[in-house]
Amino acid sequence: MSAEPTAELGALLLADGRLPTGSYSHSAGLEPAVRSGLTVEQIPDYLEARLRTVGLVEATAAVLARRQAAREPSGLAGVQAALLARTPSAALRTASGLLGRGLQRLGVRLFPDHPGVVELSRWQDAPLRPVALGVVGAAVGMDERQVARASLYDDLQTVTAAALKLLPVDPVEATGWVLDSAAVLEAMVGRALAVHDTADLPALAAPVVEQWSLDHETSSRRIFVA
Amino acid sequence: MSRPAPAQVSVANRQGTAQVTRLATSTFVRPRVLGVRGDRVSVALVAACATLLAGDDLRLEIDVGPDSCLELIEPSGTVAYDCRGGRAHWSAVIRVAEGGRLLWPAAPFVVSHGADVHRSTQIELAPGGTVLMRETLVLGRSGEVGGSLRASLSATAGGAPLLVEDLDLTDDRRRSAPGVLGTARVLATVALLGAAPSETAHPHETLLAGPGALRRAVTQHAHDAEAALDPTWERWRQAQPGA
Repeated sequence: MSAEPTAELGALLLADGRLPTGSYSHSAGLEPAVRSGLTVEQIPDYLEARLRTVGLVEATAAVLARRQAAREPSGLAGVQAALLARTPSAALRTASGLLGRGLQRLGVRLFPDHPGVVELSRWQDAPLRPVALGVVGAAVGMDERQVARASLYDDLQTVTAAALKLLPVDPVEATGWVLDSAAVLEAMVGRALAVHDTADLPALAAPVVEQWSLDHETSSRRIFVA
Repeated sequence: MSRPAPAQVSVANRQGTAQVTRLATSTFVRPRVLGVRGDRVSVALVAACATLLAGDDLRLEIDVGPDSCLELIEPSGTVAYDCRGGRAHWSAVIRVAEGGRLLWPAAPFVVSHGADVHRSTQIELAPGGTVLMRETLVLGRSGEVGGSLRASLSATAGGAPLLVEDLDLTDDRRRSAPGVLGTARVLATVALLGAAPSETAHPHETLLAGPGALRRAVTQHAHDAEAALDPTWERWRQAQPGA
């Protein structure tokens, strides 16, 4: 049971690609992956690889941010610092910061007095997406599990929605990829919730995803930001 | 069972001249001083036996004192052999004091078929301390799929997290997934930690959020990765403060 009446609705809202945060302009690395030769048949493996690496790292950061926003908002800076150190690609940090800014703007307008939102407003740098998601999730009343799942679901849907624009994909088949990811996604939710100390934030890396993000940054022909 | 003692190298700066303050041999590594030039000491990490086998625990402890400079040379690469169910460990703990510099162009680290290795690198930089390191992880000798490797690195600068990564290359199917390594078997990295170059000169060079920069090459063959990283190594060598 969630205390806030907006908890359940908020969980749907924050996972909705129609939310005005700019997520439609991102492909979670799919565009440079396709340019490097990734095929439609490989997308389910790409989704799973992301869930097990960057997806888990981000979902755990979102959970830690959700907890800090509720208990001790000054601790959010530590979550941001830990996630920055686990994001060596400057291109991926920029992309995550753009999405974080989008969520932060929503928070500032809708929950201006929430301590987590107030804390983010003090920062010079953009909060990374998972940090902002944790804070806005706290403001809307979502619990940790909802925040973790929203973070991972968003990653899946960003790839899947971008696939429809980049490759000849049947939208129903693409929806099936998301559903087929359920077992791995829930396993990652469980792992994210089990982390309690910022120092224990997972750091599982996907080196080729990082390389692709850097290739994409210097590419002159692109549809998506990242 | 207690862990075997680590091989140790400590250097200090005594009135402008580099001095080796500690050199300890372990079962696996025999550090040898190659030369002292001004504030810089070169030390070779000579393999004392055919490492790494199941149960082996190779440990290195490197301490670079204030305003001193240590260059580590590895005359040969490290090969982890078939562990037949056992696991080998490789770990390095590096501490660099204020104004200290470490250069470590590590030789290839090869994980043979059947090997199971955990590798860990821990770096603590005091403000103004820098590390320029290079590592080449190779999955399998020529023609092999390669064994299981888990490689983690954690670097802090002035106590703040700078670079933390955990490469889970234990499962062949998962590490071959698109976005992880795909079909590549070599992951080579140059990292400048504690200082950042003024600019990046190649699309695969990236600045960290903190003081540092990273360049990777993900390839089929080690020599391709090394050739790709050579220019970055040379440039960042010049960029390292005090170079």
